[in-house]
Amino acid sequence: MAKRLLIIDDDPDFVSGIKAILDTAGFEVDVAYDPKEGLQALQRQPYDLLLLDIMMGRGAEGVMIARKLRKDAKLREMPVLIITGMREQIAFLFPGEPIHPHFVEVDELVEKPVEPNLLLEKVNSLIQAAEERKAGVS
Amino acid sequence: MEAKSKILLIDDEEVVLDSCTQILAGGPYQVATASDGTAGLRLVQEFQPDLVFVDLKMPGISGFDVMEKVHTMDPTIVMVVITGFATISSAVDAMKRGAYDFLPKPFTPEEFRLITCRSLEKRKLVLETIALRQEKEMLREHFAHIVSHELKAPLSAVQQSLFALEFELSKTLSESQKEKLERAKIRIDDLIKLINSWLRVISVDINKLKEGFTQISVKDEISKALDNLELYAVRKDIEIVTSIGDVLHPVIGDGLSLSEAFVNIIGNAIKYSHDGSRIVVNAKENGTDVVISIQDNGVGISEEDLPHIFDGFYRGKSGQAMATGHGIGLAVSRQIIEAHNGSIVVESELGKGTTFTVRLPKWSNQP
Repeated sequence: MAKRLLIIDDDPDFVSGIKAILDTAGFEVDVAYDPKEGLQALQRQPYDLLLLDIMMGRGAEGVMIARKLRKDAKLREMPVLIITGMREQIAFLFPGEPIHPHFVEVDELVEKPVEPNLLLEKVNSLIQAAEERKAGVS
Repeated sequence: MEAKSKILLIDDEEVVLDSCTQILAGGPYQVATASDGTAGLRLVQEFQPDLVFVDLKMPGISGFDVMEKVHTMDPTIVMVVITGFATISSAVDAMKRGAYDFLPKPFTPEEFRLITCRSLEKRKLVLETIALRQEKEMLREHFAHIVSHELKAPLSAVQQSLFALEFELSKTLSESQKEKLERAKIRIDDLIKLINSWLRVISVDINKLKEGFTQISVKDEISKALDNLELYAVRKDIEIVTSIGDVLHPVIGDGLSLSEAFVNIIGNAIKYSHDGSRIVVNAKENGTDVVISIQDNGVGISEEDLPHIFDGFYRGKSGQAMATGHGIGLAVSRQIIEAHNGSIVVESELGKGTTFTVRLPKWSNQP
């Protein structure tokens, strides 16, 4: 069965670029264009992975979402790929090198824009890591 | 109407306090007086003066101590020393402790008025400077915000769409269509990199790096930088030859920013190299330093441009293909290297090539 992903990002143009790649790769992708809508979608049904933007709305509302996920026993298990444009906050990055923000158990951070191969590699490895973790825990 | 300037007089001689108050009466001033240091300091807090006159020789706290305390309470308050024993050495002492001027007793009303005007002018300048500095800081923050949001976000969205197009159409595009897409991607990538360098200059305090210094292998950081630049070098068909000592002594520093500096310097060498040429990266020990040199056979830098290449936001007039972001990366690199107590120098000849030499002090157990 195809994996279900949710994108929470307030930039529709950016989302369309990300979604097209994930669609082509065979994922089922839902989109929420603001944090509130995103949280509602997460409550409605389970997702295999969340792609989360950090700077939304009036500030770093993505961080607020990540904090809420951490407090939720079920959502805490969902892997999160943070896709952010605020490079200045995270200093100098090497593309592809893993950066774990540690908002939830399984997460990583990549910078906008993200190359298709890197995106798919991160998405797949995070989903796999979360599944392995779950299998190991239970 | 402009607020009256507040002047505080601290002197144990009542006649001085009275006559000075008299002299200032009728002017645009509000005057308070204290007959000793303790009372004076209390008034500094309550009255918040623009200007303080202090007698040096008073019973209780000395004038010097009063000045020091006033300076720690509010360094923008202008202080003038009044003294009966005017000697050069006491004047120098007073200046050292933050006095703006010096008024020997006895003085004429005219002298007193003049020094009051001048000191208040000084106070105005001090406050204006602070306001300007704050304004500049605000502009800088706004600029960072505008750059990151209004410029970078749309570019990222465009680039992401190009990525998606290429990915979706990978099997249907002809070679020439792919090439056009590739060109568009490269140009946008250059712009995003340029914006990132601006943001780096604007928003990161490189001196804070020192707090997280650890033992670093120069070889590792150069390798990381080379990995990062591999694609770029391949695109221009440039061979990078390295000669790095295997037992190179470690240095003390911040790995991420050191490799950033190497990315900038080697990336710069690639940018100004001719297609198909070669770059030599060499690292060896020399006394208490590790010395890294990056040598290209590219366009070179003219003599008139050479002194400015680390200035930031500077791009040379001569030489060909002065592409985007020339100066910023080098300026950041120099800041990073200097934060490591190292140095960077450049030698170049127009048309022949350029050599950057970086020195970093070896790591040692001694602090």
